[in-house]
Amino acid sequence: MGLYLKLVGVQIRSQMRYRSQFVLDTLALLLVTGLEYASLALVFERFKSIQGWSLAEVAFLYGLVEMAFGLTDMIFGGFDAPRFGRFIRQGSFDQMMLRPIGITLQVLGSDFNLKRFGKMAVGVVIFSYALSHLSITWTVAKLLYFPLVVLGLVLFFGGLFIIGATIIFWTVESTEVMNIFTYGGSFMMSYPMNIYETWLRNLFTFVVPAIFLNYYPALFFLGKPDPFNFPAFAPFLAPLAGLAVFLISLGFWRFGLKHYQSTGS
Amino acid sequence: MRLFFELAARSFRRTLTYRIATLAGLITNIFFGLIRSSVLVALFGQQSEVSGYTVTSIITYTGLSQALIAYLMLFGWYDLMDGVHTGEISTQLLKPLSLFRYWLAHDLGRAIAHLFLRGVSIMLIYELMFDLTYPKDLGHWLALLVSLFFAWWLSMVWRFLVNLAAFWSPNAQGFGRLLFFAANFFSGFMMPLGLFPDWLQTLCYLTPFPYMINVVIEIYLNIITGSELFFLLGLQLVWILGLSLISQFILTMGIRKLAIAGG
Repeated sequence: MGLYLKLVGVQIRSQMRYRSQFVLDTLALLLVTGLEYASLALVFERFKSIQGWSLAEVAFLYGLVEMAFGLTDMIFGGFDAPRFGRFIRQGSFDQMMLRPIGITLQVLGSDFNLKRFGKMAVGVVIFSYALSHLSITWTVAKLLYFPLVVLGLVLFFGGLFIIGATIIFWTVESTEVMNIFTYGGSFMMSYPMNIYETWLRNLFTFVVPAIFLNYYPALFFLGKPDPFNFPAFAPFLAPLAGLAVFLISLGFWRFGLKHYQSTGS
Repeated sequence: MRLFFELAARSFRRTLTYRIATLAGLITNIFFGLIRSSVLVALFGQQSEVSGYTVTSIITYTGLSQALIAYLMLFGWYDLMDGVHTGEISTQLLKPLSLFRYWLAHDLGRAIAHLFLRGVSIMLIYELMFDLTYPKDLGHWLALLVSLFFAWWLSMVWRFLVNLAAFWSPNAQGFGRLLFFAANFFSGFMMPLGLFPDWLQTLCYLTPFPYMINVVIEIYLNIITGSELFFLLGLQLVWILGLSLISQFILTMGIRKLAIAGG
């Protein structure tokens, strides 16, 4: 843990050296996330709801997912596929393997990027908008459960990042397809899952358990009825589903490490 | 002119060789298209028409906007910047054609390859999945081709202009990213401009960005027709000329400033 904090500390200090670049990059991320949501909010004026969800209710989901994804991107950035691909190709990964420290920890500490704070900040703003426009009755259970949902989402997205990075052990090139799982997943999960066609929703229920991390917890917090008649415990699977995906991804990562052959560069 | 087309042909062939990248890009574009169409169709709900868009045409819109991503390099293009930062620009400046025409030729080949590999192909796959709208007659198809060509040209001039920032700052990439993404909002890429509030539509049309995407799409969907069509094609040309003049002016200033380290 001490070592991890040290690795992260070095990166934060080096990022602060290039102040103007840091500001521009943060601003760019802020704008990307903000404009994407703004375009939805602006279009919403012409419509009343999106399949029974008001703009504020969508904002609850959208803000929650953006916050968690921003947090994940900050913590697990070292596993981000395009970056990790560069690592492998340039041989930096081989250098890491030579060090007497766990490789997983090193990759985890290799790209702690403060600028991604911008993405999280937008999530917080959107989420606050939702809270101020909805009258959610915050019971003790809801207050206690909320941090667990965020944790579940972070583990879930973190697991997807790790799976993406592991595939690069074989492909060497980072393929754009991994974006479907990370960015595509978070984009999809920002909207209520009942808007998707059955096959797409089933894919994100039974293959990738995304629906238990955004949609079902949101139904619980917002007090909305479940159109799919899942068992009553469905909203409470978020931490479990997140942990499961994370553990599976770690297993896959270990498997990949064993089969890794350097590119020789 | 022969040199120009020779350069374009080479860049066309080079783009064709990236098969895995093309396939990966294609799958990604279609996946995002599917989600975006789900969102818009769900927003429409029971309404059959909203500000000129029907459910069929809104689905077509999501396909078209995804099909334009690679053709117009909507998520950013930094090749000229890289050249300035690495010093490769010195050889580019020695080419027997101007820096702008060099990159224009280069991008033309790439764009044509991408138009088929990641544009037409997306629409074909969309056709298998959905009911789509098509241009209503031969005239509209022709107008579409012209506006597609103008959209590429305008987008190239715009991307070239943004890349010139590299002459002044080593952090130009962050600046570029900011501009490219803002453009995607004003162009009608994120949402069709027709669904925005009226004041915002007016604002968007004061910028060059709708002429790269929204105009092309609305010609395809038969929303822009008749004399308005010719007027908008004309405005595409006006923006191309305007931005070209500005970029030439800035390029001259940038080159005057440029110092290349030998080595």
